[in-house]
Amino acid sequence: MAARETNPNFMNGVPELLILRLLQQEEMYGYEIVHAIRSRTEAVVAVGEGVVYPVLHGLERDGALRSRRKNVNGRSRIYYSVTAAGSRRLADLSEAWSNLAAAIQKMLKGGRHGEAIQ
Amino acid sequence: MAKPFNELRERLLRAGVAPRHVRRYLAELADHLADLRAEEERAGRSPADAESAALVRLGGTDDLSRAMIEQRQFQSWCARAPWAMFGLAPLFLLAGAYFVACLILWSGWKIFLPGTESPFVPILDGFAIFYFGVGRMLYFAAPVLIGWGIALVAARQRLSAFWPTVGLVLVALIGATAQVHASRPAVPGAVGHVSMDLALGPSAQAASHGLLHALVILSLAALPCLVWRLQRPRSPSA
Repeated sequence: MAARETNPNFMNGVPELLILRLLQQEEMYGYEIVHAIRSRTEAVVAVGEGVVYPVLHGLERDGALRSRRKNVNGRSRIYYSVTAAGSRRLADLSEAWSNLAAAIQKMLKGGRHGEAIQ
Repeated sequence: MAKPFNELRERLLRAGVAPRHVRRYLAELADHLADLRAEEERAGRSPADAESAALVRLGGTDDLSRAMIEQRQFQSWCARAPWAMFGLAPLFLLAGAYFVACLILWSGWKIFLPGTESPFVPILDGFAIFYFGVGRMLYFAAPVLIGWGIALVAARQRLSAFWPTVGLVLVALIGATAQVHASRPAVPGAVGHVSMDLALGPSAQAASHGLLHALVILSLAALPCLVWRLQRPRSPSA
């Protein structure tokens, strides 16, 4: 298969957060999830599209997601949705990322080190 | 499965990812690829160009395999603890099979041959022949069947030969040295008992016979694995 440039390692954890956020609103299958991520992040978040599946399977195994097979337009799809544990995990992740993003933003705007790291 | 995923499947299996997780991953990737291909065709690309573009968007084999391999929870038990899966599990299975075989022998003795000193006597009753035959079949076939199981699991998961070979040799040795004894105390009405032990035999001749028996079991058990390995170069998608 051909190679494709994707985001580097600092993207670790981002797909998980975005997936949980998306699936909290409605159940989706993999292709829909990737499309939604691309459109809602205006293509800033770029991952190999197939890479979403190990994340989905991992979250399902951890109990954060549940899946069910559904026939749509003659094709069998696996739809994912968030569980109660997944909602709690999303809340924790969202808080952690918001704090991190705020801290980095402060750093980039020239704030003092002590203010940025809380 | 679509041809583009053959290399990915081999890489995942060799990295120890459990076959069921590989199967599900590849099935979802194949669905995703079909969606991407359709999307590219709707955008006006030719089928060949749409296929290429869809594969690029899906991700390279390196990325796709790394994403799955990094999730250690998808590793099979054969990859995590091969010593348990190939060293211990076959022994427990064999012990279970021998227990059932001995139970059949003991219960058959009690039901069909209540007055005899031993269950190892000529039997004429049709159902008794069948009943004891099941136990005998289980006793003799268990090492080979378990060996086939080891070979099947090793082949499915593309495992290196070391641990499966250890398992096969252990099963063959136990299969060749297992001996069943049955005796009844010389007291009227006493219940006979059946026991098992592992021994190569009292003489050098018996020992060499036992080793030959082990070699036969090993050969029979390893045969499907050898056939599979010989056939692989002819079918690259296997």
